[in-house]
This record gives sequence, C-alpha cells and structure tokens, in this order.
Amino acid sequence: MIRSLRGMARIGLRFQFAYRSEVVLTSLTLIAQVFLLRMVWTAVYGERRQAADLTLEQLLAYLTLANLQTFATMPVITRLAHFRIRTGTVFFDLARPVGYLPQMAAFQAGHTAGALLLLSPVVPVVLLVGSITSTSHALPYAVALALGYVIGLLMALLICLIGFWTMETGAISLLYRLVSQFFAGTMVPLSFFPGALGVLADALPFKYLGYVPAAIYVGRLSSAEIARALLVELAWIAALWALLWALWRLAHRRVVINGG
Amino acid sequence: MAELTRALRLYWRLQRAAMRGAMQYRLNTVIGILTGAVYQGSGFAFIWVIMHTFPSMAGWSLPQIAFLYGMRLTAHALCMLPLSSLIGIDWLVREGEFDRILLRPLNPLVQVMAKRMGVGQLGDLLVGVVLLAVAGGAAGIAWTPGLLAFCAAAVVGGALVEAAFFLALSSTALRMLDTFALRVFVDDVFSRFGSYPMSVFGGVTQWVLTFVLPVAFVAYVPATVVLGKAVVPLAYASPLLGVALFAVAYRIWAGQLRHYQSVGA
Repeated sequence: MIRSLRGMARIGLRFQFAYRSEVVLTSLTLIAQVFLLRMVWTAVYGERRQAADLTLEQLLAYLTLANLQTFATMPVITRLAHFRIRTGTVFFDLARPVGYLPQMAAFQAGHTAGALLLLSPVVPVVLLVGSITSTSHALPYAVALALGYVIGLLMALLICLIGFWTMETGAISLLYRLVSQFFAGTMVPLSFFPGALGVLADALPFKYLGYVPAAIYVGRLSSAEIARALLVELAWIAALWALLWALWRLAHRRVVINGG
Repeated sequence: MAELTRALRLYWRLQRAAMRGAMQYRLNTVIGILTGAVYQGSGFAFIWVIMHTFPSMAGWSLPQIAFLYGMRLTAHALCMLPLSSLIGIDWLVREGEFDRILLRPLNPLVQVMAKRMGVGQLGDLLVGVVLLAVAGGAAGIAWTPGLLAFCAAAVVGGALVEAAFFLALSSTALRMLDTFALRVFVDDVFSRFGSYPMSVFGGVTQWVLTFVLPVAFVAYVPATVVLGKAVVPLAYASPLLGVALFAVAYRIWAGQLRHYQSVGA
C-alpha cells in the first residue's frame, strides 16, 4: 500500500516536471504579482508607519510569504480528476487496489514536492522583490503551514468528489481557486477586511492556507493565538476528514464511467 | 470596401451560429459568464478592501480607481470578445485545421475570429460596464457630450492596443513558433497592471508600462483625461494609438500569413 502510494507520488512529481515551461511562466507571473502588491501597498501606505497593526515591512514580508505559499501548494488534483472523470479514464484509478482518495492525495503530495523543487531557484528573486526578514517563529510557522496544507488537500479532494455527481468541475474548481485565494488573504491580510467580510473570512478555513502561517511568521500572532490557531486547524482537519469519508461512501456507489 | 462589408456580414452570420452553439450548453454558458464576472470581481474586491482602510491611492479616490478599473475591463472585454478564438490558434495550425480555413473564400482572420463565442468575456463585459456606469456617476465627473464621446473612443482605442499585441503575438503561431506562454503572460501584465494609476509604480516600471508595453494607454492615460488629471495635452490623442498599433499588428499578421507552412497533416 505504502509502496504503491509512493509510486503515485512519483508520478505527481514527474507530472510537475513535464510542464516545466508552464512552471517558468507561472513563476514569472508570481514575481509580477509580488512586485505589483509591493508597489500598490507602498503607494497606499505613503507616509504612514502602521495600519491595522502592521508596519509596511511586516506587510510586505507577509504578502511575499502568503503568495509563495499558495503558489507552491496550489492543488492540481481537481484538474486531474476533472479530466479523468470526463474522459472515463477514472475507471483505471478506481480499479487499482489502493483507495481513490489516498491515490489522489499521494499524487498531490508528489506534485507539491516537485513545485517546491522547481520553485527553489525563484524563491531568492521573490524574496528580493518582496523583501522579507528572518523569523523567530520558524517552528510554529512550519507546523501551521503543514496543517494548512492538509486542510487545503482535503478541500481539493472534496472538489474532486463533486465531479462524481456533476461530471463537470472545471468552473467549480476555478471558482474555488478564486474564492480560496481571496479569503486566504494572499493580496490583503485578513486584518484589513472590513465588517461582515472580516467575520466571514475569519470563520472560513481558507485563512489557514495563507494568512495564519504568514501572520505567525511576521510575529503578528501571540503564543496563545498561535496555540488556538493550531488547535482549530486540527479540528478542521478532523471535520473535513469526516465529511470526505461520508461523501466518498456516497460517491463511489454512483460512479458513472464515460465512454466505455 | 465591398470586401470589408462582405467580411463583416459573414462574420456576423458565423458568430450567430457560434452563439447558437454556445447556447446548446446553457448551464455551461451561464457558469462561464459567472466565472468571468467573479474572476474580475475578485480583482476589484482587492482594491475595495484596501481602500476601505486607505482613502487614497497615489492621489486617486475609490470611485476614480473604480472608473479606471471599469475602463480597462470594458476595453479588455471588447478586445477579447471577438478575438478569443485566437487563443487556440496553435492548435488550429498543429492539427492542420488552418489549411481548411485558407481554402475558403473569406479573410482567414475573420474565420478564426468567428470560430467560437467568448463566453467568459461576456462576464468581463458585464462587470466592466457596471463599474463604468456606477463609478462614472460617483467619481464627480462633469460629463459633457464631448467627454462621453471621448470616453467611448478611448475604450475602443484601449481595446485596440491590447488587441494589437494579442494579434501580433498570435500570428507567430503561423510559423509554428510557440508563443502561447508568452501571450498568457502579456495578457496577465495588461490585466494586472493596467487597472492602477501608473504613478503607483513610478520610475522605470512606469516608463516601461507606458512606452515599451503600452499598458498605460489601455485605460490609465484616457482616464486621466476624463477625470481631469491629464498632465500632457497629447493624452487627448491617446485613442488614436490603438488604431495605429492595430494597423501595424494586422500587417504583421498578414506578413506571417504569407510565410505559412502547413504541417502537412
């Protein structure tokens, strides 16, 4: 079981490397994005030292980090499942002796590992463009990010499963990407979200993909807040896991294979 | 001239057929339009959230930036609505489909343009026009018929600037040069940077975005005229740049077309 999952992860990694030119391009887009954010935020801060408890330096470090994070952890399996359900090749995934969801999870993990490898030459450029300093909260940052990654993975798997009902997840996964990135706070830290929008963003799990780890990194959260955030992350993982399990029991009974 | 009217008439007919085709998948069309609208809306939500805390960005208020955003987006939609089929030109060439196009007695570009209807771009247009209308009222602009006409010309001119770069880059596909990635990137730069006052970027970036890749002329320069912020009188002539650039781009397309070599499929 472990060996076959490792095989799946290897395919995920190769898949990432097969689209190198796409990665180069998206890296350029990432650099452009961080540069744009830096310019816009520097312009609005102007003479101000601080806004919403963040100095400009903290904010820029935060944004750089949040964008690197979401870029590296972007789910690919929603796209893969969409394609394989539509063409009927999902049959081969289901026929394998390893569960469908573990396969997808392993594939995504391998793909993310590939993204991290390919990203490594870009990171210095992004850090330079975005300006970032070292942190004294490296460990809690890493833990929060890892848990956030699991949350993101579980949500991506949920989107994959929706395809078993709707057959068509192209638009849903694009919508998911837009909504999750917005509420993850990749362009604006959550502390800037006004009123009801702020309450909503705080309640949704997307903030653990971007805002929470990055805010820990720049020292925006106290130890008590960090501990609480990690606990809530674990609770989200448990809840999403249960939901995924329940949905899977329904989904695999209604599989329709296209194209026979 | 007769040739042009004939091409336009046929384009309209083919486009209507494409529209009927898109409406066969009604739900997909609705979701496509919605996704386009949400995509552009989320870009504006970013500006809205920032300006909730900071009342001004490089001297521009929220309604002013909304107007700029609406102008850029409407221009983008006007550019991509007819040209969206060009996105797949690499595929048309590679699969030999382009050979068939050359055999038919109608301008090849018009034929490619009429292949599909840009469903997502309808969403862009929707958000763009709504933003323009709302911000046009809220930004305290003293509208005159002349200014309104300038605004309309500027949006068309902006669409032509973007279309020129898109067409010129797409035409390299006729020589089997893969510029798909580059096209996506250029489109991204137009969308990402075009919606902000150029003074936000300053220095080299502003210069590059004005004179090398003239993103500034899609919406920023004409918007300064409409909002009474224009610094040079030449800004009034900005819509003409689009016409000139597009004419050059069409020459490039025609030149590449002469060197077209079939894949032999």
